[in-house]
Amino acid sequence: MNKIKALFCVIIPIALAFLFNTKLGSMPPVLKFLNPFMGFWQNAENNHFMFNHKAKIKGAIDKIEIVFDDRMIPHIFAQNDHDLYLAQGYVTAMHRLWQMDFQTRFAAGRISEVVGGKAIEVDRYQRRMGMVYGAENSLKGMMADPKAKEMILAYTEGINAYIKTLSKANYPLEYKILDFKPEDWTPVKCALLLKQMSAVLAMGSDEFYMTNILKKFGPEVTKNLFPDYPFREDPIIPVGTKWNFSSLPIPKTPESFTQAQTGEVKTTEKVEGIGSNNWALSGAKTASGYPILANDPHLDLTLPSIWYQIQLHAPGVNTYGVSLPGAPGVIIGFNQKIAWGVTNVAADVLDFYQIKFKDSSHNEYWYNNKWKTTTKRLETIKVRGGKDEIDTVYYTHHGPVVYFQKPKYGRADNVPVGDALRWIAHDESNELMTFYYLNRGKNYNDYRKALTFYTAPAQNFVFASVDNDIAITPNGKFPLKWKDQGKFILDGTDPAYDWQGWIPNAQNPTVKNPPRGFVSSANQSSTDTAYPYYINWEFAPYERGKRINDRLSAMNKATLDSIRLMQTDNYSIMAQNLVPALLPLLNNEQLNATQKEALAYLNKWNKRYDAHEIAASVFEIWTKRLSYDIWADEFEVKGIPMRYPSRDRTVEMILKEPNATWYDNVNTAKKETLSDLANEAFKYSCDSLERRFGPINKDWEWANVKQSNVPHLAKIPGFGSKVLQIGGAKSTINALGESNGPSWRMVIELGKMPKGHGVYPGGQSGNPGSKFYDNMIDTWANGKLYDLFYMQSPDDKSGTIISRLKISK
Amino acid sequence: MVFIVILIICFLLQMVAPWWIIIVIAFATCGIIGKTGKIAFWQSFLAIFLLWIGYALFKSLPNDNVLAGRVAVMTGIKIWWALLLVTGFLSGLVAGISGYCGYQFRMAMLAKKTDEKIA
Repeated sequence: MNKIKALFCVIIPIALAFLFNTKLGSMPPVLKFLNPFMGFWQNAENNHFMFNHKAKIKGAIDKIEIVFDDRMIPHIFAQNDHDLYLAQGYVTAMHRLWQMDFQTRFAAGRISEVVGGKAIEVDRYQRRMGMVYGAENSLKGMMADPKAKEMILAYTEGINAYIKTLSKANYPLEYKILDFKPEDWTPVKCALLLKQMSAVLAMGSDEFYMTNILKKFGPEVTKNLFPDYPFREDPIIPVGTKWNFSSLPIPKTPESFTQAQTGEVKTTEKVEGIGSNNWALSGAKTASGYPILANDPHLDLTLPSIWYQIQLHAPGVNTYGVSLPGAPGVIIGFNQKIAWGVTNVAADVLDFYQIKFKDSSHNEYWYNNKWKTTTKRLETIKVRGGKDEIDTVYYTHHGPVVYFQKPKYGRADNVPVGDALRWIAHDESNELMTFYYLNRGKNYNDYRKALTFYTAPAQNFVFASVDNDIAITPNGKFPLKWKDQGKFILDGTDPAYDWQGWIPNAQNPTVKNPPRGFVSSANQSSTDTAYPYYINWEFAPYERGKRINDRLSAMNKATLDSIRLMQTDNYSIMAQNLVPALLPLLNNEQLNATQKEALAYLNKWNKRYDAHEIAASVFEIWTKRLSYDIWADEFEVKGIPMRYPSRDRTVEMILKEPNATWYDNVNTAKKETLSDLANEAFKYSCDSLERRFGPINKDWEWANVKQSNVPHLAKIPGFGSKVLQIGGAKSTINALGESNGPSWRMVIELGKMPKGHGVYPGGQSGNPGSKFYDNMIDTWANGKLYDLFYMQSPDDKSGTIISRLKISK
Repeated sequence: MVFIVILIICFLLQMVAPWWIIIVIAFATCGIIGKTGKIAFWQSFLAIFLLWIGYALFKSLPNDNVLAGRVAVMTGIKIWWALLLVTGFLSGLVAGISGYCGYQFRMAMLAKKTDEKIA
């Protein structure tokens, strides 16, 4: 009896220890997490006292001083390049270690290692799209260049030096929640991070949908509804710019090919999310007589912030701007002489090839009238609390065959089954050198030289210098294609369908000091139709670009404030185009009281998506519904995933083709007209708002309908921002959606001493227990900018310093 | 006595040891100097309850409880001081049970020895 009692007295405490030390489902190990000595309470940072620190890093060559200003932005002063990037790695890890680790694990398809089997499809997708394969290739390119190699190795060394200082108690919070450990940084992680940017910005692919459309509707309808150049456009390179080069011969178009397999997926309306604005004004249009450059890249907003502000100072370089946690150097920023920024180019650098395999072993495929062998790449996916999963991916000379069977995973919807992927991000590349040279650039020639190193994701690089040069270049490594190559799925058996070489970098579209006195981009078409090469058949809609160009054309004696106000401009060109066409179609007599009141708001509307506008809410839902009413009956067919025609084409049809057959709903006996649809959609909009919020009241205001907020990177509740009451919309310059929008707003006034201004929705620290986690959000939401503190020496007194970190050997 | 011993030893050891050291210490202390089952439970409970709450406050107050507020939302507890109480209560309970078990373990062993002597 006593033996049993004694046994129980031992078992119970052990069981308790085990129970509260184990992660159960998504719940962290309870007492391990709540333990104030090592658990989450340790991540609560002191808000009131900052201390100076010293650190010893063996690899440091000389003394390094890092000064933190009152927004916790590090200003690094080093004696050589090696120490500069070592220190950048060290401070970035200090503030953002979990984010860097998690993002690169995600890129490499290693999330199952952390969260278990539920992430297996996510990991398979990343692996099968060739993310690791691409990163390995890319790393070869970086390591072949001595400067890039030094940068990456020093940066890696800095991150690992920081990781070594960590004890369990000061692991970043998310490690404690997800119950895993930081691992050493490796150079391939830098490459993975850059590949992930390619995946975010250049993984779009409509060819599967387009092939289905071509098969269902035939070439004429396809050409009519999906034209190769938009109805309205205001291209990045001003119309009429002459091309002063003799172009390479354009490859011949082979005969069309439409055969493709289709799977069971739903049609998706193309979501406009990733996009950006940038522009530069020449001194002739500014009050100071020196150029002003502005940039706001739009991305899915997260906390910790996507960007990390930093100043890098060493002999030969003094640059300030934003970096990506996980990559050395400054990506968007300025120095004493120049400023630069980027927006995405929707270049078609991702194609699918239909592959004819000899048999189900997939060992050989038909190409150029011969059987060619595939190579196999084994992807081992570790699963937490489960067995490793080994996935075999077959590679053709095009690239990996992504799927033989369609998975149930949203991001894989646009991937055709059995087809091989040719993607620019699989190629060897060395983008870091572009930023290395831009960071040190002094003039236009340095800018042009820097761009030659860049492969992907293609960007519109805007530039301004103190010499009063401005320029913009849609830049990247663009495959030499025949027109529309890659609009549909390509034939993988015929060499004529392969990429036929590259557009020479010097012949990428570019313009320097155009007569209009400014350059700009907002992801719209790179050029007019006179450019000899094919980059893509469709770019982002033109409205933002048009509004930017309208405003800049009218602007003279521009100042910081005129540019800042422009970045938060909520005026909608789309509303300007559509409101006058749609309002007359509404049948006033058939509207109920609420609908009439909503119509009155629309009649008075200034076409701005400002926070308090009720008309903007009604208009937004109305036009979305109208697009659905027009296209859903034809383009949503079970088992044939397709996409809708573009917004540009829809607007063109509404304005110019009142009798188009597409207005008729093919599922009803009645013959519908545009007017029928416009009325239905308007009522739908008002009714859905009324159901949600009751009769028209404050809750109908656009900001409340939109619910803008900045969520946590891993969507942990409580770690995101509150709902922000702010305006803006996808089709306006201030392209702010629910949780997508300007991830960094920057305005640089060049001059004898450059003046930088910027803000992002978040903070420098990635720790939710720091006051610097989200301290800049309100300034960002209010459309204000901070003055950036561009220091000339560690003792520069022009800004507020809150702490110093001295690193020595 | 049990209270003071557990409080001091746990405070020192927790600087380096994992959280479950409180189980070991409560068990051992009560197993050696625990006078009654009641004392073993309640003094262990109170020692860890106060130690954890005290140390959590030491970290959280200079932070204006920003982090505690966020984690409270994450866990669904909503209010930061409720999370603080949960921290103290759970850890105290585990320590209390361990202390009680330690005491009962000694009693069982003593009883066993007496049994053997009698036999």
